[in-house]
Amino acid sequence: MNPSTNQLVEHFFRHESANLVAVLTRAFGMRRIDLVEDMVQVAMLEAMHAWKQRGVPENPAAWIHRAAKNRILDALRREKTYEKAVALSGQSMAGQSIDDQESIVDRWLEDERLPDSLLRMIFVCCHPSLERKTQIALTLKTLCGFGISEIARGLLLPGETVKKRIQRAKTSLATANVRLELPQGDELTRRLDVVHDVLYLMFNEGYSTSHGTEPIRDDICEEAARLCHLLCESPCSSPATKALLALLLFHAARLDARTDEDGAVILLEDQDRSTWDRRLIGAAQSWLAKSRADQPTTFHLEAAIAMQHCISPSVEATDWGTIVRLYSRLLERHESPIYALNRAIAVGQAGETREAMSQLESLRGRDVMKNYLLLDCAFARIHELEGNTEEATDCYLVALSKAVAPHEKELLQRKLRKLAD
Amino acid sequence: MSKFMFVYRGGHEGMEDASPEQMQQVMQMWMDWIQGGVEAGWMLDGGDGLKPEGAVVSADLSVTDGPFAESKELVGGYSMVEASDLAAAVELAKGSPMPKSGGTVEVRELANVGKQEE
Repeated sequence: MNPSTNQLVEHFFRHESANLVAVLTRAFGMRRIDLVEDMVQVAMLEAMHAWKQRGVPENPAAWIHRAAKNRILDALRREKTYEKAVALSGQSMAGQSIDDQESIVDRWLEDERLPDSLLRMIFVCCHPSLERKTQIALTLKTLCGFGISEIARGLLLPGETVKKRIQRAKTSLATANVRLELPQGDELTRRLDVVHDVLYLMFNEGYSTSHGTEPIRDDICEEAARLCHLLCESPCSSPATKALLALLLFHAARLDARTDEDGAVILLEDQDRSTWDRRLIGAAQSWLAKSRADQPTTFHLEAAIAMQHCISPSVEATDWGTIVRLYSRLLERHESPIYALNRAIAVGQAGETREAMSQLESLRGRDVMKNYLLLDCAFARIHELEGNTEEATDCYLVALSKAVAPHEKELLQRKLRKLAD
Repeated sequence: MSKFMFVYRGGHEGMEDASPEQMQQVMQMWMDWIQGGVEAGWMLDGGDGLKPEGAVVSADLSVTDGPFAESKELVGGYSMVEASDLAAAVELAKGSPMPKSGGTVEVRELANVGKQEE
């Protein structure tokens, strides 16, 4: 066996299955998506069975495309006989001839045309008629090729919930017979905003440490960035899309540095900055440069903040003044207590601990902050900066009393031990 | 040294619902195992999988579609292996991905090979 045919690209099956579902659904309509998915699954199993002992063929993608296409055309031909019978009985028969469909599918499966079908599918999965959570689950299933149980693990949801959510979404899109089209003009701007939100939240689902450190979560981050990149390379993208990609890549550069070998969370200030991915930081910077816009979006500002962290050699050397200004601009656009909290910490880091304290105090009354241990952690951090170990310890203890997730407790206990030294 | 045929049966129960990533992992496990055996010299031929459909020709030359065995009984593939004796071949079979995926490996020595070599 030739060793070169013994390895497949990472996630080959997952991505090929997503490619096929996008192209075949585009060809045969949203109403056929269940049939399409079933036939793609059969083709994937055929490939696994055919290749596992003899090795991968020279062009595995072409092999799988052929297998899936044959499967679905066979299924449709069988249906066709049925439809013909229906037609003879006086009812209408819709659609083109199967041979026409076959040559169209072949064309859409060509490498350089594939992204077009994927883009169309992105807009379908992020359809405004669906709830945000459903859009995320459907995107993970359809465009990333994740299985139900993988999505459930990644989103920390019961498998049954994920399955129902996706099935309901497919049914409603099929009933509405949503077409795989690229939105145009004003419609594009509106729909693109939704896609941005979905990709941003999808990335956060994978990134947020409150969800544990399953390896699948890194894959979710990678997928959000991959889809965003696909958008950026297309004429559909806007400056906001490029800023979003920059933001995702700045965060992705720190993925590995955020946890230690036991999976425990490491905070930004304690991360080994030499392990940050310089290649990704470079890519993020160049996307941010390409994202120039008259009106910077929240993505632009968040990306600019992430960049300040990424290009700085240490916490102390960070340009906190710039970060404070960027948070102020974010707050002008969106009055979020989280932005306010982060600005207060940046103010403290910039040396103005008294001002930071009063900003944090003003957040205390906010309802969303009541059980939010991050506020107590922020107070602790400012006390620490002032050298008030005792008060910092008290604040961390309050935070600890509010912590629920084991990794949060562990992190706070580690902080407290460090302060006690 | 003797030659053996590994006959694989079943092992695909539940794979219908496997995710693409899981399929790729199963496939990679097989390819790594076979490649390892080829490099170590005991895997003579990784063999092939068999499609489930086929036909059976009977003694009276009648032909039926089939085989109609249950899926866990169905021969799904084979490999050719070299080992000093049955016990050693069995140890090699234990290392295959088959038991892990719930299938079986039948280990059968080729009848004539040893004699030809003497």
